[in-house]
Amino acid sequence: MNMRKTTYFVVIILAGLGWACQTEPDSAELIDQMVVSTNYDTEADFASYSTYAIPTDTIGFISNNSNDTIITYPESSYPRDVINTIKANMDTRGYSKVDRSQNPDLGINVMVVNDYNVFQEIVYPNYYGYPGSYYSGYYGYGSYYYYPYVNTYAYNTGVLIIEIVDLKNRTPDNKVKVVWDAYLGDVYSTIDRIAQTQEGIDQAFVQSPYIGK
Amino acid sequence: MTMRLIFLFICLLSSSMLLAQEKYIYLSLDVQKPASNTAWIEDITAAAGKLGYRGFIRPNFSAGLDIGWANFDQYEPTSTKQNPTGAITSDYFHYIYSYSGVVSGQYYFKEEDEDRLFPYAGLGLGAMTNEYVLYYNIYEDTERSWGFLARPEIGVLYRFTNRGSVGIMAAIHYDYSTNKSEKFNYNNFSALGFQIGLMAMTF
Repeated sequence: MNMRKTTYFVVIILAGLGWACQTEPDSAELIDQMVVSTNYDTEADFASYSTYAIPTDTIGFISNNSNDTIITYPESSYPRDVINTIKANMDTRGYSKVDRSQNPDLGINVMVVNDYNVFQEIVYPNYYGYPGSYYSGYYGYGSYYYYPYVNTYAYNTGVLIIEIVDLKNRTPDNKVKVVWDAYLGDVYSTIDRIAQTQEGIDQAFVQSPYIGK
Repeated sequence: MTMRLIFLFICLLSSSMLLAQEKYIYLSLDVQKPASNTAWIEDITAAAGKLGYRGFIRPNFSAGLDIGWANFDQYEPTSTKQNPTGAITSDYFHYIYSYSGVVSGQYYFKEEDEDRLFPYAGLGLGAMTNEYVLYYNIYEDTERSWGFLARPEIGVLYRFTNRGSVGIMAAIHYDYSTNKSEKFNYNNFSALGFQIGLMAMTF
């Protein structure tokens, strides 16, 4: 083997070994679509509901490092785009949007939780966990509704949470039940936040075929 | 008692090979293909390498230490996984970061002062640690495990010139380790590898 071939060989070996250092996936490929997780109350009869209420252009904002509690249009177009996408999916499934004052069967909560790790649990006051559990009231419907909160933060992450609450079957002490929720993440590390969120919401409904009249 | 004997054996072996007058070190690329739980990762990787030291304690027998590293990865396109109360949709990046160290022995089919080509067969025994990582969006799920490693190997050393101190080495090896991962469904970890690299020798 002559000197030139030896040099090429050495360069190939060293380049290969350099490449062999611990690698991670390309970040752009990682965040080009959101993780969409949905859960539902297996005892809920989604065909028994007809109407729903949803805020017009405001979504909740839960964070340990901000005093803001809502994200509002027109300060951001995000709430309106998100809500309109949810409405479009609910309408397609045969439900009708009504005003809160018209005694809707379902209420929809939408919120962004900041600095939230999906491997942690968020804390719901007076709430016992996943769909099927009761908590104390939905906004405008007696007792109290507290937005959930998180105790820890370490990363600049955010999850969009959509909850469908059963207002039709309130308990005598006015407690309501979450019958479906969707978690979409991460809403901060995105390539196109609005488009990816809308795709994520559509996907949440696609993977929940039981929602519908 | 058994551990003491193993420790004593390793000490004696180590001192023998370090005192050996004739020895070689090598650095090699190590192309590997997983052979266990290929449903999780089956793709071949060239992002792997080995570094080793071997000293002759007999004219046709050497012993040494090898350390190795490998990154395995495979992409899982977007899919929806159902569970009893819901579903999750994402694409996933499966990764295994593997590191190993073995004490090895090699038998050469020619004695060291013959010719320039030295075929050999060897066996390495040691430990492997694997970190299994599932990346999805900004999230990751990980599990690390340790296991006993056995590595049979056949290979060849080739000296560039008759009295030169540089050459190449190539080998095929099979790694079997007792690494388990309940989370990612590994009862053990095994891989088939082909390594090619440079060596510097004193014989």
